Amino acid sequence: MTIFSDIWYVAKRELIKFTRARVRFAVNLIQPLIWLGLMGNMMKGMTNAPGIGKMLGTGNYLAFMTPGIIVMTVLFAGAFGGISIVWDRRIGYLEKLMAAPIARGSIAFGKMLSTMLQVGTQVVVVMIIATILGVHIVTGLPGCVVILLIAMVFSLILSGFSLSVSATMKTMETLMALVNLVTLPLMFASSALFPLKVMPGWLAAVAKFNPVTYAVRPMRELTLYGWNWAKMAPSLGIVVGLAIVFLLIAQFTFQRATTE
Amino acid sequence: MSKAIEVEDLVKVYRNGTRAVDGISFSVDEKEIFGFLGPNGAGKSTTIKTLVGLIRATSGTLRLRGVDIHRHPGEIKRQTGYASQETAVDDRLTGWENITLQGHYYHLPSKEIAQRSEEVLKIFDIYERRKDLADSYSGGMLKRIDIALALIHRPAVLFLDEPTLGLDVQTRTMIWSYIDKLRKEYGMTIFITTHYMEEADALCDRVAIIDHGRIQALDRPGVLKQQIGGDIITVRFSASNDGAIPALIEAIQGLTNIKEVGPAQDGIYRIIAVRNGDQLIPKIVELGEQHAVATESIRLRRPSLDDVYLKFTGREMRDEEGSREKIGKNRRTQRRLNR
Ligand SMILES: Nc1ncnc2c1ncn2[C@@H]1O[C@H](COP(=O)(O)OP(=O)(O)O)[C@@H](O)[C@H]1O
Ligand SMILES: [Mg+2]
Repeated sequence: MTIFSDIWYVAKRELIKFTRARVRFAVNLIQPLIWLGLMGNMMKGMTNAPGIGKMLGTGNYLAFMTPGIIVMTVLFAGAFGGISIVWDRRIGYLEKLMAAPIARGSIAFGKMLSTMLQVGTQVVVVMIIATILGVHIVTGLPGCVVILLIAMVFSLILSGFSLSVSATMKTMETLMALVNLVTLPLMFASSALFPLKVMPGWLAAVAKFNPVTYAVRPMRELTLYGWNWAKMAPSLGIVVGLAIVFLLIAQFTFQRATTE
Repeated sequence: MSKAIEVEDLVKVYRNGTRAVDGISFSVDEKEIFGFLGPNGAGKSTTIKTLVGLIRATSGTLRLRGVDIHRHPGEIKRQTGYASQETAVDDRLTGWENITLQGHYYHLPSKEIAQRSEEVLKIFDIYERRKDLADSYSGGMLKRIDIALALIHRPAVLFLDEPTLGLDVQTRTMIWSYIDKLRKEYGMTIFITTHYMEEADALCDRVAIIDHGRIQALDRPGVLKQQIGGDIITVRFSASNDGAIPALIEAIQGLTNIKEVGPAQDGIYRIIAVRNGDQLIPKIVELGEQHAVATESIRLRRPSLDDVYLKFTGREMRDEEGSREKIGKNRRTQRRLNR
């Protein structure tokens, strides 16, 4: 099946560049460190108050925050996952790819795969930093692996969205503006940083329709409580379902945008 | 034996209604270097893109070595190499990474990719720099590696869309010598578009002049030039009396061996002689004196493809500064993105 090798080589090109961009990698490292360090310290006073710990489900706000930071990392990295298409179109590389006998679908899939793997390494970094800062993920290493998988599947929703938009865009600036417009509200209108219980009613209602909430939920379950598959199943179903939907949307819009 | 390329009544109307190619037919022989010469927007790139299967023709028949392009796109892609006018080399990869990835896009085995990459990079004299990021390559090197990329799968027909666009004159001549080398070493069919007259003249066995999506003329460069006439005299007159010059022009038209007289630009007149242009010069100057018109300068030359172009499109050709700017802009953006 050449489609798998096609997807791989499309992805490989991005991955080579990913490993080469040292500054970007350093920023990716520092970012979660800042978030965890800053938020952890800020919230320390708050979590010392007796009622709050109960609301968070843990006395350790950092442990509560870790899945939130993971999801945030995926959210931002994933949302920029399609940007390389705009660039490729600009420099004519997209045409070069399409003039080659590779499977048409492998271009969009390859880009999504590369985003998924990049996001994966970033998530591993976040988990290592969290562990160093004293966060104990109760399900241990297997739990970490499942969290990583959820994060990677979740990235497909964002890179799929990003690709669909990028496929029709002529400039990166438009895409960046759009990404900022979408990601921040997605972040805050979710249970990533604060539990739904402490949110104003309307925000909690919005958060219920936010896929970010459903990505965070099973990760938090695995971080704080343990292996409760029955409880995680609905969220996992939603994340996987949406990932497939966006995978298909991306494929469809990409095909349309590149057919003339 | 089948032709390398056969095009019959190709029409391409883009979704937005632009009629980029308006019914063209031509064929290219095996091992021929065939040129498409025309100004910006003439429909050159559109024609190439339909031939390499990037866009679908609205109507018309396209065959590559006897194979229908629409019916067997995969087969066509394996037989064609394409270097677009954008110079689509990834700046943030090394030369070697660029070319080996290209080999994988064509499903070649890794070992063969390594061998062939070395071979084509050596042909284009980039092998020594293969481990450097393409970002550090000069414009000429980028174009060379871009053409090299198109050769990794040993295509039978190579399509080069404006291969010297935005390059300086020396670099341009250097690229020509590489293209010539390809023909000599591989006996490859090469389809090349350009809006540089000298390029078509220097490289091509046959040239089609295209404008507004139509082929205006098609033949060997020498034959096209012969159609113009024997000699071209360009002359600058000056007169104090307004009516003097038109009267003079009329008189010149009455001379023997004159084919055509017309204004070219900036007060310069172009006189096309059937033959013996040198003998016409004193007669023109003399006629001028009779009409109280001074001849400021006069020059005799053989027709060039420029004249052919002017004849068939009614326009002078100029280098496109805009395109060069676009290349610069692209490269700047790319650099910015590296940080
Ligand atoms: N994707 C496109 N959609 C709509 N119009 C296009 C597209 N590409 C080119 N055109 C138009 O088609 C005409 C021919 O373009 P092109 O083939 O690129 O010319 P050339 O390569 O000779 O400069 C131009 O008017 C151009 O604006
Ligand atoms: Mg063009």
